[in-house]
Amino acid sequence: MTRLFLLSGLAMLSAAAAAETPQQVLAAYQQQAGSASASRGEKFFFAKVPQANGETAGCTSCHTDNPKSVGKTRAHKSIEPLAPIANRERFTDPAKVEKWFKRNCKDVLERECTVQEKADFVAFLISVK
Amino acid sequence: MGVTFKNLGILLVALIASGTWLGTSWGDGSPPTFPPVSNKTVSTECSACHMAYPAGLLPARSWMRMMRELENHFGEDASLSPEETLTISRYLQDNAADSARANDRMRRIAGGIASNAAPLRFTETAYFGYLHDEVPAYVWKRAKIGSRANCIACHTRAETGSFVEREIKIPKD
Repeated sequence: MTRLFLLSGLAMLSAAAAAETPQQVLAAYQQQAGSASASRGEKFFFAKVPQANGETAGCTSCHTDNPKSVGKTRAHKSIEPLAPIANRERFTDPAKVEKWFKRNCKDVLERECTVQEKADFVAFLISVK
Repeated sequence: MGVTFKNLGILLVALIASGTWLGTSWGDGSPPTFPPVSNKTVSTECSACHMAYPAGLLPARSWMRMMRELENHFGEDASLSPEETLTISRYLQDNAADSARANDRMRRIAGGIASNAAPLRFTETAYFGYLHDEVPAYVWKRAKIGSRANCIACHTRAETGSFVEREIKIPKD
């Protein structure tokens, strides 16, 4: 039994070691971009981008205009909050962060996001208190 | 035949026995209508934006078409890494409505689809239409339902693969 506890403790430790903190994720983007601005990220987050169908879309279409709120996908499934203060899992898996930047930037902007935009975006969400 | 401890005991045993029997019948003990996704990659990736739909809802050719078009998945980019794409495609193919593992209901879904068609939405199949034809248009538009893709809005145990009638609870708003 004690051994089982030790093993599960070790497993949890190694899982924790594999994950990163939002600050580490930000630092990586910041290093590539040269800078990161929470206020630029805020503008980016709230931007309404004209779409091919004549409507506008943006981050807030699904994530709501409060980064601490639960959002909703088009298929009506809830999305955990973007701000790390409201969601401890957010920005702790760099591969996941990249995956969703790739998808969502293409959906909203019809292009990939720049490293600068990613740095600013993460900086803004970390700054949300 | 008075009220004795013996008679009360018999009554109690009979009640428990029939309760257990009723509780475990009516589908609870039998395999789910459409077994939920059993592969971790599939359940994680395919449930990011919607419920992970059981592979048995569409034939293999539909799933293959969907996996080729993930960059435009119903208007959204749902692209995956080549490894994830391969794992998921394999799982879907092995468990599709026209696979060797299909049950009677899945075979009915597959049988209702023209051989030259590969629908991407289960909700556009004849099987779905037949079973939902009594649901009026205004019900589908209710805020808590919103979309035919939202199985769980009414099928309360959809995520366990169970779609039996007595578990249906249609939201009032």
